[in-house]
Amino acid sequence: MSKEIVKEEAPSSSPVVSGSFASLRSVRWRISLSILPSSSSVDDLRRVTADSRRRYAGLRRWLLVDPHVPKDGRSKSPDLVMDNPLSQNPDSTWGRFFRNAELEKMVDHDLSRLYPEHGSYFQTPGCQGMLRRILLLWCLRHPEYGYRQGMHELLAPLLYVLHVDVERLSEVRKLHEHHFIDKFDGLSFEENDVTYNFDFKKFLDSMEDEIGSQGNSKKARSLDELDPEIQTIVLLSDAYGAEGELGIVLSEKFTEHDAYCMFEALMSGAHGSVAMADFFSPIPAAESQSGLPPVIEASAALYHLLSIVDSSLHSHLVELGVEPQYFALRWLRVLFGREFSLQDLLVVWDEIFTADNSPLEKDSGNDENSSLKMFNSCRGALITAMAVSMILYVRSSLLATENATTCLQRLLNFPETINLKKLIAKAKPLQILALDSKISPLSSIFDGSYNHSKSAVSGYNLSSHPVSPKTPLSLVPDSYWEEKWRVLHKTEELKQDSLDKLSPSGKKRWSEKVKLVLSRTESDPSPARAEKYKKGHKSSVRRSLLDDLTRQLGLEEEDTEKGGCSDASNLEDHHSTEAQVEGQQNDTNIGSIYRAEERCECGSGTFVSEENSSIFSDPLSSGSGTNDHENGTEKSSIASNLSSDENDDHHQSNPEDSPLPVSSPPPEGVPLNSPHENESSGKLVSAMRERRHLSGRFQWLLRFGRNNVSQEASDKGGGTNETPKSLNRDSKSNTADSSIAGASRNSSLASQRDVDQNVMGTLKNLGQSMLEHIQVLESVFQQDRVQVGSVDNLGKSNLVGKGQVTAMTALKELRKISNLLSEM
Amino acid sequence: MVLVLAIGDLNIPHRAPDLPPKFKSMLVPGKIQHIICTGNLCIKEVHDYFKTLCPDLHITRGEYDEDSRYPENKTLTIGQFKLGICHGHQVIPWGDLDSLAMVQRQLDVDILVTGHTHQFKAYKHEGGVVINPGSATGAYSSFTYDVNPSFVLMDIDGLRVVVYVYELIDGEVKVDKIDFKKTATAPSAH
Repeated sequence: MSKEIVKEEAPSSSPVVSGSFASLRSVRWRISLSILPSSSSVDDLRRVTADSRRRYAGLRRWLLVDPHVPKDGRSKSPDLVMDNPLSQNPDSTWGRFFRNAELEKMVDHDLSRLYPEHGSYFQTPGCQGMLRRILLLWCLRHPEYGYRQGMHELLAPLLYVLHVDVERLSEVRKLHEHHFIDKFDGLSFEENDVTYNFDFKKFLDSMEDEIGSQGNSKKARSLDELDPEIQTIVLLSDAYGAEGELGIVLSEKFTEHDAYCMFEALMSGAHGSVAMADFFSPIPAAESQSGLPPVIEASAALYHLLSIVDSSLHSHLVELGVEPQYFALRWLRVLFGREFSLQDLLVVWDEIFTADNSPLEKDSGNDENSSLKMFNSCRGALITAMAVSMILYVRSSLLATENATTCLQRLLNFPETINLKKLIAKAKPLQILALDSKISPLSSIFDGSYNHSKSAVSGYNLSSHPVSPKTPLSLVPDSYWEEKWRVLHKTEELKQDSLDKLSPSGKKRWSEKVKLVLSRTESDPSPARAEKYKKGHKSSVRRSLLDDLTRQLGLEEEDTEKGGCSDASNLEDHHSTEAQVEGQQNDTNIGSIYRAEERCECGSGTFVSEENSSIFSDPLSSGSGTNDHENGTEKSSIASNLSSDENDDHHQSNPEDSPLPVSSPPPEGVPLNSPHENESSGKLVSAMRERRHLSGRFQWLLRFGRNNVSQEASDKGGGTNETPKSLNRDSKSNTADSSIAGASRNSSLASQRDVDQNVMGTLKNLGQSMLEHIQVLESVFQQDRVQVGSVDNLGKSNLVGKGQVTAMTALKELRKISNLLSEM
Repeated sequence: MVLVLAIGDLNIPHRAPDLPPKFKSMLVPGKIQHIICTGNLCIKEVHDYFKTLCPDLHITRGEYDEDSRYPENKTLTIGQFKLGICHGHQVIPWGDLDSLAMVQRQLDVDILVTGHTHQFKAYKHEGGVVINPGSATGAYSSFTYDVNPSFVLMDIDGLRVVVYVYELIDGEVKVDKIDFKKTATAPSAH
């Protein structure tokens, strides 16, 4: 941040200022804002200062109108018809006078409320008068912008730093008085009055001894012995330097002039990329491609950067409907003036002004893509990065909010005590990111963001969204399931601390797969659906989990088989834990569904098209624990089998076949199934779904279901498209034993035929029958122990009574079946 | 920089329907700080119209005013100047400078604003200034039909008052300006 002034060989004898203006913020800022030349001698600085001041004085004389004073001493009798006070003529002096009066009224309205906590400076009449005049003149100079609220807050800190520097100057004056005192007339020459013989040094010394001997005796005798900084100050304030008094760089008399120059440079951007005045304009910029006002564009850029950096927070905010301009308007227009205290703000502005404002040369690739104007310069990128850093600073409280109002409250009432250094340090890498990242075309940003919010909103409002368009089977509104899931999830998380280790890794893989799924999918609704589903979980944690899962699932798409197996095992661990937990809850059904789906995806390596189910499964994977290792092994075996299968016939029949009990989550599972391209995966899905239906208590049902499925498969011999559903229904009397037998038959059959086809058919039937059985069991339970009587061993009569026992036996048999299947 | 509008003798609705449109376009709210009305508005609607131009309204009673609560004379101080208002039908002979000067001394004002003659007049004499804004609508008076619509705008600035006269002559607005300065000690016209 320090400005190194190069020692140049100045042609004139004026000394070169070396070192930085570390303590003179106003000079630093003037250099950053390109008012003063950055590297030059004192004389140049003074000259430029003087020029800018002259300009301002001229402007003021011209624009501030006193109608009584005849202008330029022209005609004695001005045309009264035009120049009378009531004249409607816009050119008349009176007209201008009244317009100025209007502007002044507006400005005064804002000024009276400016920085009341620093009222000792800002509310003094002198300061207020200066602010008023500066704003008035700027607005008259730029009538296309007019006066907007907020401009005064940009101007106030500029005036303040000038004031501070002048105070510093007076301090230095006191300390080094002798350098400032004009002893021009104090020198008395000797009688002969021959100047060149006069010993100036000796005389000065004697004078100093007379004047200031009470001070310290170590006073520097000459200018060069001073601290370079003090030296600079002295040189800058020398009344006899270049341009005389007008050139004194730190001058109280010309504070208004300097403040005007700084303000003008800030607003116009000084030929740079970021011009603050644009943020006040409601009209889209000429070269804007999106046709939106610049501040809206900048807000969108902010959100874009946020989405790159922290997409979960971004999506959370988008879902809540928090448009960036709600808070970013104030942030950008006043350059964070309202968010920080004055001293903090000065530090922030130091950073911002140091960033170069010149437009960067963008790569050629951006010719078609219009890059965002905000990212077109270092300064713009830093402003955006600062904003994103601020958002991230309050990340936790934002993620915890449930509605847009509290979010905005948090953002608009930025915390008082902040670690500013940390904030700025975080902004630096973000700035680099903003400059480097491939900025997507404006259109995509704006369309995407709008669509995102729209789809999120619409999805949220839909009572029942079809997870897959083909199966309108969801009978229960989204929120119901999501709520249930949330309850479930919370309990699970509470109880599964130890198993968190597993979950992340499992989730990791899931998310990658899912991500790949998402990226590959071409159907539009999928991201929307993903959004819809995601927003159902009002916890950002879950959402971020989801994101992680998707990402990781996507990445691991290639390693389906291995991943599938390992995932399966993980999931099964999860599942078992979940089952355990669920056993103690009411909402076991939902949990089982979710987990089952989770497992489905785990098992189906080619799950690519099923983003929904993957999404469904993702949250479930978290918090699941190791409960049922046996299940896990079974599933892993199935998973490995299925991963090699490719068939897309039956997935459609699966959902149709399974009637959905009213309260059971199968509607979720079934629609999930339908988009499956992979028939085997579909089967597994159904199998999994069936498992999910069950709580811990019902795990045996899953196994039973699988038994039945395998039995069915064996019965049919594989490959037939008969609706196993009817068979399943009829075979309610299937016992665990029969299922075992079926499994064995199945295995034998399978071994004899073409592995692929048989396995396909078998698995399909497995899935279907399992689903059927599970549904049946569900109905049993819901009908309050109504005996279906279809399965002997299952004890459909009264599962509550001896349900546990029979369940366990059935489960065991299902395990055997799965083992057999794995051998296939 | 106080702008004071001196207007009167509109005689709406009896002798004139409304102000001339060119005058109306010039009289917009926000510019004028005070309105001095000599009288003969005559109805409440005109009073309300003036109120919209400026809330600070001072009216004296003319002989045809329908609101009888207006005073006969009124005095007020604006800046360094004391102003007096009187309709003028009480002062006989109508429009006679000496009689009006008597009223001015009686009221002890620097500027006296009267009407009734429907003729613009601005006298300066040792006592002060007498201004007659004429009739804003050009309504006929008791002794002539040939009346040009006119009114007066005073710009009071410290010890100096600039009087702008707006007259509608042949359909065009003509503006004239007269400067008056008040000496600090004695109220003299010039």
